[in-house]
Amino acid sequence: METPRMFRWLRRLDPEHSGLARMKRHFGEMLEEGRHIFDAASNAFLGGVDPSVVEEDLFATDKNINRLERQIRREIVIHGSVHGSTELPQCLVMMSIAKDAERIGDYCKNLYDLAAIRTKSKDDAYFKDLVDLKNQISHLMAEARGLYMSQDEPQARDFMRRAGALQRHCDAKVDELLAAEPATKQPAATVLCYRYFKRVVAHTLNIVTSIVMPVDKLDFLDEDPETRDSEE
Amino acid sequence: MAEGWSARLQRIPWPVRLLLVLALLAGFLVAVKLMESSVKLVGADTAKKLFEGVASPFAGLAVGILATVLVQSSSVTTAIIVGLVGSGQLSVESAVPMVMGANIGTSITNTLVSIGHITRSAEFRRAFAGATMHDFFNLLTVIVLLPVEIFTGALHHAAAALAGMLDIGGVDYDSPVKAFIGTLAKGIQDVITGPFGLERWGAAIAMIVAALILIMISLTWITRIMRSLVADRMENALNDVLGKSGLLGMLVGILITVSVQSSSITTSLLVPLIGAGIITLEVAFPITLGANIGTTITALLAVLATDKTGPALTIALVHLLFNVTGIAIFYPVPALRKIPLDMARRLAALATRNRMWIVIYLFTFFIALPLLGILLFK
Repeated sequence: METPRMFRWLRRLDPEHSGLARMKRHFGEMLEEGRHIFDAASNAFLGGVDPSVVEEDLFATDKNINRLERQIRREIVIHGSVHGSTELPQCLVMMSIAKDAERIGDYCKNLYDLAAIRTKSKDDAYFKDLVDLKNQISHLMAEARGLYMSQDEPQARDFMRRAGALQRHCDAKVDELLAAEPATKQPAATVLCYRYFKRVVAHTLNIVTSIVMPVDKLDFLDEDPETRDSEE
Repeated sequence: MAEGWSARLQRIPWPVRLLLVLALLAGFLVAVKLMESSVKLVGADTAKKLFEGVASPFAGLAVGILATVLVQSSSVTTAIIVGLVGSGQLSVESAVPMVMGANIGTSITNTLVSIGHITRSAEFRRAFAGATMHDFFNLLTVIVLLPVEIFTGALHHAAAALAGMLDIGGVDYDSPVKAFIGTLAKGIQDVITGPFGLERWGAAIAMIVAALILIMISLTWITRIMRSLVADRMENALNDVLGKSGLLGMLVGILITVSVQSSSITTSLLVPLIGAGIITLEVAFPITLGANIGTTITALLAVLATDKTGPALTIALVHLLFNVTGIAIFYPVPALRKIPLDMARRLAALATRNRMWIVIYLFTFFIALPLLGILLFK
């Protein structure tokens, strides 16, 4: 039965208008911006575009990510003041994953800084692997946003397994570059790129982990037997 | 526990909650009616003698402050005052300072809430200033308007004129609501005077106690249930008002307070936001002023239950006019607007440096001075 219009303001008729839904929308925007800044920075690093072309857009996007994080923090305080502790765990999770989304922006800026000083070469031994990795991470970030919105647990566990594999791939490449004779020009820049890619994946993973893990276990994925097993 | 109630209330379907609010509202009006009837029961002369003690405006002001501090709700105090005026046992002139006192007394609640931030100095300084700006605004308004009222009666004359204009529209008639409330109140009175066999004083005291309990229970639960119904609206309104114009803030303050029937809820919501630095005193101030206007709805509702609608409506309108006039004096001119904010900031700075100031302030302002006022001016 349709609720009379005059009574609509009285209740949570549409959960889309609740405070938590508002935060979720802003968080979704953060993730979209995160993917955008990641694509821009890694394209600049890998030579897809000239760094100076994306500079303005990249820093504006980072600013917007920071603005959204502050907005979410304000919304959390207001939500807590109005609703008390009823939805406290959800608010704490939001606080934590908004920080993750903000850190993605920071790592992308670091990557952009590297792009500005690095000599690009498509003949580089690691070029193809990095491009491939970049595409996978970009896809993963888009998937993370969808998963966060749908809160699909089985899909989240599958995501965690795949993201864990990407992290291990980055670690292996870093070890390889540190141990072996340099097979690439400017190996430090390549090591840092793998490191930043790994960190972006780690923060994206933290966000998806929040779908299946309680608030006290967030950010400690490798110490949790359940999720550690699911990675193997 | 508030959170426990809040979660449980959220599980009740909203139409049921709405019906509960209507039932509680009826309970509130029955209580006001019962209060009125109890005063009539002891006889006009006796009741008048009782209120002679507060004939002095300063004693009335002090009674208003103390009564509100005790029950932690200006809505309860003003509803009782309206009931007494409606019964014809308390004059509008004597009731005006009491209403002003109720306005001051209600601001203790958010000041107490701000003490929760005491372990973090910067946060406490902001929160305490955010809470006490309400106290200072109310105090300043009383300092300006009480002498004006004593010497000219401007407020109650204006309210009476306004009530007279509304009367043309037919306020003073036997509405079905009044008849229904009267029947319920008569039923309770019959129970007290019938099976229990209480007469005059005994019955009057029993009815007053029953009325006070019913007023407090009904207002407490109206506030709780309405809060559960409009929580998301309140949250969105607060989110939307950040950084917006003062008038919008005032409107938000009015709407939230009218919805939950409690200015303390609105002003106490603001305290943690100010403490956390989410909103500034300048943004919170108009919301607080809106809450002052919104809270006058309770007295206006209480009028529905009274016999002498004219005087009851007059005192309810005095409450409204007092707050509106205070805003008209202190809000539009930036230099005047700053006064309560600066006073609150200074007190907060003192209280942050030495916590004894909190005790001195609360004790002096809300207990010692009102008690002294009653002793000196009764």
